[in-house]
Formats: sequence, C-alpha cells, structure tokens
Amino acid sequence: MALMTAAVLGASALAGCGGGSDGTTAAADPGKGGSAEGGIREYTAFFAVPGSEINDDNEVQQIIAEKTGAKVKETWLTGQTAAEAIGTMIAGGEYPDFIDGSDGTAQLYEAGALIALDDYLDDYPNIKEFYTDAEWDSLRQDDGHIYWIPQFGNIWEKDMSAEHNDEAFWIQTRVLKWAGYPEIKTLDQYFDLIESYNEANPTMEDGTANIPYTILCEDWRYFCLENAPQFLDGYPNDGSVIVDPDTLTVIDYNTTPTAKLYFGKLNEEFQKGIVDPESFTQTYDEYIAKLSTGRVLGMVDQYWDFTSARDSIIAQGLDTQGCSYVPLPITISEDVKNQWHTGGGSGTLNISNGIGISVSCQDVEGALQFLNDLLDPEIRVLRSWGVEGVDYEVGDDGLFYRTQEMRDKVVDTAYKASHLCTYSYFPTYTGMSADGINAASPAEQPKEFLDSLKADVRECLEAYGCSTYVDMLGNNEVPGPWYPMYSHSNNMTTATPGGTAWTKMGEIKHEYLPKIVMAPDFDAAWEEYMQVYSECKPEDFLSEMQAELDRRMQVAEESAKTEASE
Amino acid sequence: MKAPKAKPSGQDRKITWKEIKRQKVLLFWSAVFVLYGFIFCYLPLGGWLMAFQNYKPKDGIFHSAFVGLDKFEQLFSDMTFLRVIRNTLAMGVINLVSTFVMAIVFAILLNEVRSRIGKKSVQTISYLPHFLSWIIVTGILHDALSSSGIINELLLKFGILDQPLNFFAHPRYFWWIVAFANVWKETGWNAIIYLAAITAIDPSLYEAASIDGAGRWAKIRNITLPGIKPTIMILLLMNVGNVLNAGFEVQYLLGNGLVKSVSETIDIYVLKWGISQGDYALGTAAGIFKSVVSIVLILVANQLAKRAGEERLF
Amino acid sequence: MKKSEEAFVQKKYKTSVGSKVFTVLNTLFMAFFVIITLYPVLNTLAISLNDGTDALRGGIYLLPRKWTLQNYATVIQKNNLITGAAVSVARTVLGTVTALAANALLAFIVSRKRFLFKSQLSLFWVVTMYVNGGLIPVFLLYKGLGLTNSFWVYVIPGMVSAFNMLVLRTYMVGIPDSLEESAQLDGAGYMTIFTKIISPLCKPVYATVALFVAVGQWNSWFDAMLYNRMSGEYTTLQYELMKLLSSVTNQGASAESMKNAAAAGAVTPTSVRAAATILTMLPIVCLYPFLQRYFITGLTIGGVKE
Repeated sequence: MALMTAAVLGASALAGCGGGSDGTTAAADPGKGGSAEGGIREYTAFFAVPGSEINDDNEVQQIIAEKTGAKVKETWLTGQTAAEAIGTMIAGGEYPDFIDGSDGTAQLYEAGALIALDDYLDDYPNIKEFYTDAEWDSLRQDDGHIYWIPQFGNIWEKDMSAEHNDEAFWIQTRVLKWAGYPEIKTLDQYFDLIESYNEANPTMEDGTANIPYTILCEDWRYFCLENAPQFLDGYPNDGSVIVDPDTLTVIDYNTTPTAKLYFGKLNEEFQKGIVDPESFTQTYDEYIAKLSTGRVLGMVDQYWDFTSARDSIIAQGLDTQGCSYVPLPITISEDVKNQWHTGGGSGTLNISNGIGISVSCQDVEGALQFLNDLLDPEIRVLRSWGVEGVDYEVGDDGLFYRTQEMRDKVVDTAYKASHLCTYSYFPTYTGMSADGINAASPAEQPKEFLDSLKADVRECLEAYGCSTYVDMLGNNEVPGPWYPMYSHSNNMTTATPGGTAWTKMGEIKHEYLPKIVMAPDFDAAWEEYMQVYSECKPEDFLSEMQAELDRRMQVAEESAKTEASE
Repeated sequence: MKAPKAKPSGQDRKITWKEIKRQKVLLFWSAVFVLYGFIFCYLPLGGWLMAFQNYKPKDGIFHSAFVGLDKFEQLFSDMTFLRVIRNTLAMGVINLVSTFVMAIVFAILLNEVRSRIGKKSVQTISYLPHFLSWIIVTGILHDALSSSGIINELLLKFGILDQPLNFFAHPRYFWWIVAFANVWKETGWNAIIYLAAITAIDPSLYEAASIDGAGRWAKIRNITLPGIKPTIMILLLMNVGNVLNAGFEVQYLLGNGLVKSVSETIDIYVLKWGISQGDYALGTAAGIFKSVVSIVLILVANQLAKRAGEERLF
Repeated sequence: MKKSEEAFVQKKYKTSVGSKVFTVLNTLFMAFFVIITLYPVLNTLAISLNDGTDALRGGIYLLPRKWTLQNYATVIQKNNLITGAAVSVARTVLGTVTALAANALLAFIVSRKRFLFKSQLSLFWVVTMYVNGGLIPVFLLYKGLGLTNSFWVYVIPGMVSAFNMLVLRTYMVGIPDSLEESAQLDGAGYMTIFTKIISPLCKPVYATVALFVAVGQWNSWFDAMLYNRMSGEYTTLQYELMKLLSSVTNQGASAESMKNAAAAGAVTPTSVRAAATILTMLPIVCLYPFLQRYFITGLTIGGVKE
C-alpha cells in the first residue's frame, strides 16, 4: 500500500514538474499565426460547424502550401451553437480571415463582417468558373453584392455518385432475396413485404428476434419520421415544403392526404407490433446499436446517418446473412414517380451559407488567390485523393485506385490529421476530376465503389438490373432554380412571424407525431394534432416561404434575361 | 451596483474610528475584494440591458434599439414557458431534496464505517461518477432502463411486471429518473463537504457519549448531526437559491418527444428560442427572471434562518 | 492513547445488538453504493478498451469484448495534446493556489465576529452566485481587460467563488473565538492570526476547497474555447479533447453539415469519449488520496486544547 502511494506520489510529482516547465515554454513560444513564414502566407479560418482539426505539420497541407504559397489554420465549432459562436465573434469585432458562419451567416452579413466578393471575381478564373452567372446572381444579397461562396454540391461534368447519400426507405437484402426480389414501389407493398418476411422468419440466424421497422426520432434527426410525406408524393427534398413545379406554389407536406395516409400506416403497423415500440424513446446511440446487430429489417434514414452501423454490420460479417441495406423507390401509389435522388444537372446549390472573407483579413487578394488555387486540377486531386504512390496508385489506364492497405490507412483518425488535408470547407467539386477519367474523390470512383460492395448487395443490385444504389431509385435533375427551399427555412429565426411559426411547428411535431403513431384511435389523435398544428400558424411560415420562392424565381428570370441579351 | 442596505444582522458593534483603525487590515482587503467582485461579477450585469433591447450583434449593447418589456411579455404570455417553469421548479425541488439528503446520509453512514481502508476506498469510489460526463451517465441509464435492460429484467423476474415497461415513454417517471441520475452521479462528490465538516467534531464528545451508554443512532443524532448542522444550513440556503437551475444537459439527453411536456427546463427553452436563434435578448430576460427569483428565495430563506436562530448566508 | 480509545470503542460496540445490526446494514448499504457507483466507471473503462465498431452494437458491461488500445492511441495522438496538458497543469496549480488563498482570506474576513461589514460583504458575494451578465458582456469585459488570448483568463476571473468562500467561512466560524482572542492578547495582528492560527486548523476544509477548485480548473474547457480559440499556445487539454470529441460526434451538427462531413473513421465517438474520460480522470484519481487524509482520518480541531 505504502509502496503504491509512493509510486503514485513520484509519478504525479514528476508530472507536476514536467508540466510546469512545459507550460512556461509553451507560453513563451511566439507561434502566433498571421505572418509569412518562409514565404508562405498564413491565414486563419473558422467554420461554424463541427469538424476535424488537422495537425500543424500536416504533410499534404505542406505540399499544398509549397505549390500555392499559402496555408490556412482551420478552427471548428466546439460546444456552442453556430449562432452563439458567431454572435460572440461579432461582439468582439475580431474575425479570422476566412469564415463560414453556417446558421450565423445572416448575422455576419448584417454586422458588415464580410467583404463583398463580386468585384474581385473576374480576376480569379477558377472561382468565377465555380458557378454560372445565374448561380452567382442567386447569391446576391439585398444590397446586390456577393459575400459568400457555397462550397458544396457543385458537380464537375457529371454526377458520379454511386451511393445514394440521402434519404430513403431502406430494407435489408435478405428480405428482398427471400421474396425473390419483387418490385416494391409503394408504402403498402413495403410494409406488406416486411410483415410477411417477419412472419416467416421472426429471428436472425442466431435466434435474435428481428425488429421489423424502427424509427429514429431523436432531436434534429427526427426527419426519419417527419419528412417522408414529401417524397411519398413524388417530390424531391425541398426539406420544409413541397414546391409545385407547375404553379410555383408552396405546399405544406404535413397536412396533405398523403401525410395522413403515411402516419395512419405507421399507426396501423405500430398496433400490429411491426414498428419498434422503443422508436420514440431511443437515442441515436441506441438506434445505431440496434442497426448494428442486424436485427432491423427496414427504416427511413439518410445514408450518411447510419454509416457507422453499416461499418459494424460488415465488421461482424452480418452481410453474409443479408443484413446490408438497399434503398427502395417508395411512393404513396404506383402512379407517382419518385424523386428520392436528385443528383442530376449541376448539383444542388445551398445559397444560405458558404465561405466568405472577413473584414479582419489583411490580404484579401492573397486569400482569394488561395481560394482560386485550391480549385486548380492538381490541388483538387491532392485534396481529395492525397499523394500519388502513398494514398492512391495510378493504373495503366490512368485510373486512380487504392490498395486495401491504403483504404485502411485513410480512415485512421491520426493518419487523417497528420497526413491528409482536404480543406473540406473550402469550395470543392464532386463528380469528375479535371482529367476526365477519374472521379473527383475516391468515394465516387466506380471501381472503388464496386470493390467495396458486399456480395449480398451485389446480388441484390444485379437482380434488379442495377449497378449502383442510385440506380435502385433512378436519378433526377434538380427540379428548378429555387431548389432547395430548406436553405431558406434552415436560416429562419424567431425574429419573423414565419420563423416563429416554423420553430413552433417543429416543437409540436416532435411532441405529437409519436403520439399519433402510438394512438389507439388514430383518427381522433390526428384530429387533435391538426388542431394544435394549426394553432402554430403554419400559414405565416408558408407565406414567407412563398415569398422566398417568388424571389428566387425572379432572380433566376432576370439572370436569364441578362444572359440572353449579352 | 451596491450591496443593499441590509440591517446589520446580529451585529452589535458601532462603527467607530477606533474600531475602523483596529480592523484596517480587514477593511483594506475587503475593499480589494469588493473592487474585484465589482469588476468581474457586477460590471457584466450591464449586459442585462440586452433584455430590454432588440439586441443585434452588429449594434452591440450600446446601440441596439430599446423595446422595453417586450421580451418579458413574450416569455410570460407563452404557455410553454409557464409549463417550463413548472418543470424546472419541480425538478429543482426534487433534485435539491434528494441529492441533499442523500449526500448527508451517505457522509454520516460512511463516517460510521469502522474499517479505515473500507472507509477510504468507499469514498474514493463514490466520487468517481462525478467525473463522467452526463452523456456517459445518461447513456448507461438508458441501457439499464431499456426494455431489455437490467431493471426490466429484474421487474419481470420478480413478477412485478408482466411485460417490459418503457420508462422513457411515460411522463410520470421522468422527474424521478432525473433525480436518480443526479443522486447517482453526485452523492459521493457532494458528501465531501460533510465529511470535512465531520472532522471538525471533537472526538471527546463521542467518547463521553459512549461512556454514557449512547447507541450509534443516539450519537449520530446528538453529536454528528448537530456538529455538521452549520454546514448543512449553509448549503441548504445556497441550494434554495438554485432551484431554478435544475439543469439542462441531463433533461436534454434523457428527454424525447413523448415526455416533452415534463422534460423541458428554462435552460432548454432559452437554448431553443433564444441562443440557437441568435436572440440574446430572450435568453437574458429569462436569466434576469431566474436571478430575481433566486435572490428573493435566498432573502426569504435567510430571514427564516435568522428567525430560527440558525446559520445564515449573510 | 489512540489505540486504547479504539479498543474501548470497539468493545463497546460488540456489546450492543443494535450496533451489530447497524454495522451489517451499513456494510450492505455501502456495498450496494459501491457497486452502483463503480459500475459506470468500469463500464466506461471497458468501452475505452473495446474496438469502437464492435462496441456500437452494445452489450459491453464490465469487460471488453474485442480488446484494443486504438481508442487511447487516437486520443494520445491528438495534435497539441502536450501543450494542452502543460497549460492545464499550470492553470490547475496556479488557479488552485490563488483561488484557495483568495477565498480563504475573504472567508477569514467575513468570519471575524467583530468585523464591521461582515453581513454586507457576505451579501455582496452571495448575490454573485445567482446573477450572470451573460456570455457576450463577459466576453467584452475580458477583451477590454486584455484577458483574451492570454493565460491569465484561466486564473484571474474565477479566483473568488462565493460557494467556496461560504464553505470556508462555515468552517472558520466553528473555530473557537478564544484562539483569536488569546493571540490578540499576545499582540498578533489579523494577518498573523489568519496565517498562523486559523489556517493550520482549516486543513480539512482547505483540502476540500482545493479539490473543488482543482477539479474545476482541470475539467474546464469552455473558457479556452471562448477566449483563446485562435491562439494555439494557450489551449488546454480538455479543450483539445473536446475538439477531438466534437469532430467525431459532430456535436451540434445539422443534417446539412453531416452530409458534407467526411466519412467516419475506425474509432467511434463513444469509445473515444470513454478513453478521453478515463485519461482525464487519472490525474485527479491519483491526487485524491493525498487530499483525502485531511478529511477522513479525523485530524481535527477537536484535538486543540481550549
């Protein structure tokens, strides 16, 4: 006992001394950024979203720095909301050089914290080329200037995505295989299939009982419950409303007949015991744990939301039992065409936020030059593929590929931090590389996708005559210049009646949707829900959304006019 | 902002030059502490102005437009906020009583453990959960209370239930689950203060009581409890002022749509309707409301303690 | 003397049936308590040593199912961890020493029976427990005082806490006045009484408050994030760990940001969090036995002759 105490004392004393002296050296270290070091310009960036910091001596970052003459120290949101972090920054009046305010972007604009970029654009061809004139116009704020550049959803040449990274009704391949890979197109068919499969095979191979259908409904992830009605009616993911492309009017998907049918169906399945009784109380971790055991036959979710469960299923070899998930093109009735996947055209442009340059930046030209250089073909490959011979190899046909060893290495957190530098919140292309041969990133490379495909999924895709997940659903063009409307509703605040209504609607849906699914008397519960729902004044919300839709259409029209006249 | 002119309670000394001179060291340091407190604790209260403004970060506190009591009206005309106050108060009181009582009981019982090694190890273990974050503790609690968790398993085994109960689906259990979580995580930690207070009790009192043939209960009641009573009183008074700080994380992590009506606290409301919307004014207004209630509560509690001749905060 | 006392006490207990029942019940209670409080810690330890992807499917209780040190490796390889740890140690040591000195002095002042403003000064501090200017005003104040982008923001603003002061005051009030009076007769000033007479008697409560402050300092990360976000040299261990955690958990994320986030790695939030928790607990757990003897072994004021 005494010996142990002595050992601990010694250890902690050592730690104390060592730590103390380290503390002084660290404090005396003049490592303050912002100045040029060895001819390399250094910038700072803050992104009001969670993200992974990379090491100061990151290798790819160093290579990019040597090629472009600049590097950026990135900082991410930690433990605060975006609005809060941006609010503090505005109060202090000091900003990093680059900034993406996320939900706080409007605040940054109002506070005059951002520099108008439109006068500079012509001098930086890569940036200029990043969007079409019409798209640049859609980014103009009410003072006519452009302050930020949305980084994502910009497709180079063509959509290469093989994975459907969005929402869908997912089902395990074993269910489809058991039924002989039938065409499943409607909600009723989907649940009928799950029911009959579960009746015939109530357990997994090891005797664990199946969970036929579960619903994730925790916090912001309750989209898994609430927004299916828009897709069921054959509309794409505008997120908060349906837009009728013919009349250009917004429709509330919460109150449509389809919504009632959908929740009615869930209620019916809940009463039958098909819907997991723990659906509405489970946390995200519990949900992932359930999926990881391979017990869950089907659910609605976005693909990226259950990545870790997919990894776990594969790690346990459950894919050999047919526990991998594939998406199904479900709508409310056979005559409705689904739009679950909208990857066509030039991509989905979310105009509500993006990367901007702050008024604290001492060297706006240099910063823009860096943005421009990052879009250079060579740098794009460095950012998304890494270093040739280290992170990928080039085949005789010019195709990039990764060895298994490389694939394992690039998912390692420590390796990512010390070696890879994607500058992920700087403008980036998806789709093709500039070489016209390779995909913009490994995830989109067809061969990489095929190699990663598990046997059960491969068999299933083949049975349906598909080669990718996207083929299961079919690809759709972006429906119109307004798309997606969620870029407006996401940024609404309680400062307007519409924003207040939007927040209230969310609160009410969170509380009532589980109740109506569980209710013994669905119709009465639905009536009550509709009553409470209408008290939130959804009309305030809808009219603001309509106004935004009109505005976006008008901007698009004017752009088209100028283009025609030029 | 100056300390209000409280009647010099229990203070029979007159302010005379002689006394001032005698206490000049104390007075000097008091002044230092008042200056320090003024700068770091009272000066930022200027931010309370935000509650009466349509605060915009770009205009700052000094240039935002004043809107009077709008934000307070907004709060108190919202039925949800009233519900939230009820939840906060209910959970605040339940947590206060349960964590408070458990810490004292635990400290006293631990003090009764005869084996020194036993005593030390129990104490060391008991305070460890304090270092786990809420997300870990609530995660474990979720596991234990899930339909296949240990609690349901036990209840089924002993025939108390005939099918698993989904504890988190019923509003009536929620407050108690939260209280349990708090007790579980903090009892050992909170007991440290009482253990320190117990060390101040003169051992000769116990000896004398033993000679008089007092049993262990009698000694706890007549020696230990009175010995730590001042500490108990002070902590009780402080905690009374904290009932509106019923917490945020634990309710947030344990709550769900089905128990929303009982799980939301003032802090969650403020996050949802204020901070995450960039509306600082609303959060500040709610903060002022909480401060006022807290101060009223401790003034009343302190007065009661004074009447009862007990230890007081001031 | 002490030995014989104990023997006497024990003999006394053996004679009473009630006392035996009490001992049994108390032991049972303590055993129960130990089990339920040890469980979450052991569970966290098990998860920290288990493969992350494997842990996802749950079912890990006291022992890891698939051993790995990968989670610890991930945490330890975090950039800036050494700098962070050094700053954390420095702030914990300096912060604890200054806070203890300040709170003790303040508590000493307000616990003097003769002190003219003891009630007012107490009230002045009690109020501070319940009022709060909010994030932005505090930020502006610290910025104005030059405390942002500086180490001192960890030490200076939080030096006095009403809570700790009151805990100390309560203890000091319990010290018999006769000690102070006799020292005064010997010509001792207030500072001598504070340092030479009161403080040595306050070891248990000093240890308590030191523990509270040290744990608070060690665990705090929000101040580092808020005031020293951009200056890498004043980062703290907990802030570095929070950054790591929030990058793997995407805490505070939205659907939009999740979609744009890079694909997840081999470690998972739960396992990394477990490893980080265990690592940050260790120093405190090691420190504790040294403080513990002050409030468990019955070294008491009672021993002081009046």
